[in-house]
Amino acid sequence: MPIKHEKLEKIATQTRIKTLDLCVSGGGHLASAFSCVDILVALYCGGIMRIDFVNPKGDDRDRFILSKGHAASALYVILSAAGFFPEAELADYGKGLCKLGAHPDKDVSGIEATTGSLGHGLGIACGISLAAKMDSKDYKSFVLLGDGECSEGQIWEAALFASRHKLDNLIGIVDRNRLCVTDFTEDCICLDPLSDKWESFGWDVCEINGHSFDELIKALSEAKNKKNGKPKMIIAGTVKGKGVSFIENNPIWHTKIPFGKQIDAARKELDSKIA
Amino acid sequence: MKISILDMRDAFFDALYLIAKSDKNVVLLTDDFGAPSLDKFRKDLAKQYINAGISEQNMVSVAAGLALCDKKVYMYAISPFVTVRCYDQIKVDLCVMNLPVTAVGVGAGFAYDNAGPTHHSIDDISVMRVLPNMTVYSPSDSVMAAALAEISYKSIGPEYIRFDRGKTQIFYDDNEHFGEGLKELRSGEDVLLISSGVMTGRAHEIAHELEKSNLKAGVIDLYRIKPLNEKLLLKIVSAYDKIVTLEEHLLGGGLGSLIAEFMADNKVLKPLKRIAISDSRAYSYGDRKSLQAYCGLDLNSCVKCVLDWIKS
Repeated sequence: MPIKHEKLEKIATQTRIKTLDLCVSGGGHLASAFSCVDILVALYCGGIMRIDFVNPKGDDRDRFILSKGHAASALYVILSAAGFFPEAELADYGKGLCKLGAHPDKDVSGIEATTGSLGHGLGIACGISLAAKMDSKDYKSFVLLGDGECSEGQIWEAALFASRHKLDNLIGIVDRNRLCVTDFTEDCICLDPLSDKWESFGWDVCEINGHSFDELIKALSEAKNKKNGKPKMIIAGTVKGKGVSFIENNPIWHTKIPFGKQIDAARKELDSKIA
Repeated sequence: MKISILDMRDAFFDALYLIAKSDKNVVLLTDDFGAPSLDKFRKDLAKQYINAGISEQNMVSVAAGLALCDKKVYMYAISPFVTVRCYDQIKVDLCVMNLPVTAVGVGAGFAYDNAGPTHHSIDDISVMRVLPNMTVYSPSDSVMAAALAEISYKSIGPEYIRFDRGKTQIFYDDNEHFGEGLKELRSGEDVLLISSGVMTGRAHEIAHELEKSNLKAGVIDLYRIKPLNEKLLLKIVSAYDKIVTLEEHLLGGGLGSLIAEFMADNKVLKPLKRIAISDSRAYSYGDRKSLQAYCGLDLNSCVKCVLDWIKS
């Protein structure tokens, strides 16, 4: 049974606090990580994914690919909380010759694929989903895309491939925060109407609020269980930098990390959500 | 069918077909590129044959996903399209993750002659050999091509094999194991010619011509570009005073560069002449014979180049 959503809300806030700590000490992309924290919490803590930290490479596990690899800091926090590696290892994030860097590495327990160069993850997930079909396995592949990442041509190559091969065991999620690196997506090369694009490529698409656990759990559960011969795409409307008001929805925060009093302000705002 | 009368590509795919028939985890991806020898594979092993469409970047990532699930994956395309076209995917998805995926490229050098620069593969050795974890083969005949099916099947990391088109001269017998990565096909005294792929035949012709000038030339077929068998190469190179490299590839970063690096790193600084394609002649159209002549890779140009260099 899924954990109560209030508990997921608390996990999400705790994840943001720890992600803030990681980024302050070791760099990374804080706003992009905050944007997708709720999606990651729903997947890993909301009873969606079949995972086993004791046997992280078990044949029947569900696979998750963080195609927007620059949100690795949040994923590392969640993997650590889920037991894939001790929380103490987070202390090394971004420091010295480290195991945990700003993008996911396959050699870290719980990470399925090395990502960071945008556009690759959906194709990798296609390969994993195709292998499941070939081997008559029932595991699912989940892949989280950035919306700015959907500007990559390879995303649409993979979109064609997935529907051609009827990969209904593939569940994509677009973190639709409407910001890319320096700009708003619609002022850049414009992605709307994004749902229509995925639908026209043969995907089963739904749009949700990517910060609502009600909607996330419902959409992810349905996508996981629906066998209709179509790959699934969940367009999750999100806010980049979600959780800290002065970071939210502002392009300057893509690579920026809070400094000095900003750190205290951010932590205070996040702490207030738990209290 | 006797391997020696087969096209390199067909020799490889015939051997791969037999392997795939006995191991359903062998998967072949193509970017909508075919071959007569693949018809059988496609028909008999349909579930293991995926036409990924003309989308090479995605083909590499799909290959990585399959390999992450313990599939032994081959990707097939014209050489530039399975190398430089999808280089970032090869780097990140195959080399960083060190996955057992073999890129099979057809059309080494000027093999797609009048198709022009888009289809020539004259920079692939440079770019592929610098990738950590990548193994690079440049086979010179069909016997080796057939053997590479089994060799690549047993590999545990990414590989790139560049095949020429059409039938080739045969240098090896069926018992050759190709584990050494290079072979001194002809021994000499005065000058050592190092080549690979289609130019190994040219190296033999040059060696024959040099005899007329009382020069005894040795010939090495360096069919595995990476990892280089430095120990064996050092042993052979040490016996010569002059080294010539010969390649239907750009001067920068190719076989000649590799040998220069090897000699520098091993403190065997012998006079070296690199015969290759210069930047100014790189992007051209024409039949292969004309292109080779234009780039100084025809027999007469090569012999003159070697003789002039030795005399200088």
